[in-house]
Amino acid sequence: MIEPAIAPQPRLEWQLAEVRAIVVETPRVKSLLLQVPAWQGHLPGQHVDIRLTAEDGYQAQRSYSIASPPEDALLTLTVERLDNGEVSPYLVDDVRVGDQFELRGPIGGYFVWTVATRGPLCLIAGGSGIAPLAAMLRHRARRKVRAPTLLMYSSRSLEEVIYGEELDAMSRGDSDLRLVNTLTREQPEGWTGYRRRIDKAMLAEVGFPPEQHPKIFICGPTPLVEDASRFLVELGHPFPTIKTERFGPTGGLAS
Amino acid sequence: MTENNSVLFLDGNAAASLLQEIFVPDISIAEIRCVACGFASTVGSLRLYAASMGAVLRCTHCDGILIRAVHTRHGRWLEMTGARHLRF
Repeated sequence: MIEPAIAPQPRLEWQLAEVRAIVVETPRVKSLLLQVPAWQGHLPGQHVDIRLTAEDGYQAQRSYSIASPPEDALLTLTVERLDNGEVSPYLVDDVRVGDQFELRGPIGGYFVWTVATRGPLCLIAGGSGIAPLAAMLRHRARRKVRAPTLLMYSSRSLEEVIYGEELDAMSRGDSDLRLVNTLTREQPEGWTGYRRRIDKAMLAEVGFPPEQHPKIFICGPTPLVEDASRFLVELGHPFPTIKTERFGPTGGLAS
Repeated sequence: MTENNSVLFLDGNAAASLLQEIFVPDISIAEIRCVACGFASTVGSLRLYAASMGAVLRCTHCDGILIRAVHTRHGRWLEMTGARHLRF
């Protein structure tokens, strides 16, 4: 456990972020690399709020996980376009380098892992739920710690795997990092990995046994989070060791 | 993995920014105890039922309502009759 609980949080103030680079991750997903002048640092797994204001004053606000590690100078948000979304189509299709929008954060010390956390690390992601877990993996890689780590990553197809090459490279160079991909809808020819949703048998087969006391983080669409957390409890993992972050239908809370 | 989820709740952590407008220490890692069942959990792990104007956070053990938070033009409202304590 990390314990920043007692320290007062910096006030959550809106500030302007400027887009410095855009990375196309998949046909529906882009990463925005942001310069946030008064950024006070974050912990891997935290999120930010984004607020967009239309010319008529209408505001829309959404939460996005931070995908970059604290070690990076720019803040990376990885955004998936939801076709009926209010915010994500703008962020994915319209935003250009040099554009600015309002942001506040970091928010939430609950879904957080740092290299100071003891024990093996078990990460389970569905789709763009990889973003906060990528912040943890990138932080772990930058600090060169050898905590035994497993990433189980469920995507619909190979084309939709986010950070695919980076994750492959990361696990190739690190015998303590296991990467298990499952492609649930469409698999390329010769695919030897899993081809179904993450289920109990898969978790039992590749996951850490409860005796090793892994810290578990699950992020993705609600059904995946529900299933994986239930199966892990059935396999004997204590409920408090399993932290979950579900996507909402709109991706966040307005306030 | 459809976007059209029938299960509409999120994790308490997603309410952190709304609640953080009120609390000074990190609210998402505070312990909260349920009046109804006595179960203690972390605020970030509660079940969050979110609407555009606010949030209802329920106990993961008994589904009792622990926190109701609303942000209106007339101020921020926080109701916690279902919680025995918060521990930071």
